[in-house]
Amino acid sequence: MADVLHEAQLDHPEHESTGVDNRKLGMWLFLSSEFLFFGALISNYLLYSNRAGFAGTYPSEIYDIPFTSVSSFVLLMSSLTMVLAHNALTRADINGTRTWLFATAALGSVFLGGQVFEFTEFIVNSNMKLTTNPAASAFYVLTGFHGTHVAIGVIMLLSLWGISRRPGGLSEKHGMNLELVGLYWHFVDIIWIVIFTVVYLLSVPPA
Amino acid sequence: MTTEHHHPTPAQYWKIAVLLGVLTAIEVGMYYINRAYDLGALNAISLVILATLKFVIVVAFYMHLRYEKSTLSRFFTGGFVLAASLYTVVLAALGVLVIRGP
Repeated sequence: MADVLHEAQLDHPEHESTGVDNRKLGMWLFLSSEFLFFGALISNYLLYSNRAGFAGTYPSEIYDIPFTSVSSFVLLMSSLTMVLAHNALTRADINGTRTWLFATAALGSVFLGGQVFEFTEFIVNSNMKLTTNPAASAFYVLTGFHGTHVAIGVIMLLSLWGISRRPGGLSEKHGMNLELVGLYWHFVDIIWIVIFTVVYLLSVPPA
Repeated sequence: MTTEHHHPTPAQYWKIAVLLGVLTAIEVGMYYINRAYDLGALNAISLVILATLKFVIVVAFYMHLRYEKSTLSRFFTGGFVLAASLYTVVLAALGVLVIRGP
């Protein structure tokens, strides 16, 4: 019964009165609202990152720019593999879709691994903990929430990849599901583009 | 529901990725040039322009916003402009947004 209902839903387009699929409209609205969320965290970081007088290590004193540059490049390239997965599905190339989906999840996992390594280095070797000072707190909260978004994205990608391994699990009819996950993933990437520039490349330790 | 017939080809997606990689390399290069020569405001302006370019390229081509209906562009741009304006005013009021001269 559930399968019949599922098929019936796939055969009929979702109701929409704006000319845009409601699911896609909902995702774009959600992503749009996320700007306020990340904007608040980035502003918080800018407020405290180079304010003099705090005890302990400031994040901008210990950034490893070459390492973070490689992480940024990895996340940027995961956007390429994501869009290639979507493109493959529109051409009914299920094997290609599966491969690019897995590649995207793998690249996202590499980025997350890099973040775990960076946090560990900062905490263990540089003794900069979450509560060391407001600048450190702002850094960990901002990059940690971004990492959480990446982790959620990886889970969604692996779920789609798992579904695609079932016979008939992923086909052109499911294009919207993959498109919505793709939009989320690209959004995570553009937020990192901003964080990489504002937090890592433009930060200077207090004079 | 989708507008795939307008979307770039895989080869074009790869070219866009190369462009994004080059822009990232320029950003990192700017960071080291600034460390050596202290470019002041020029460094900040260049990095913001480069990040904006990368942002727009991903949104336009990978998120396909340039091929979508204008309704989506308005919602997305509206959210971005609202957030950017709000936090710019807040940070300016708190004296955070001060750019040093060269």
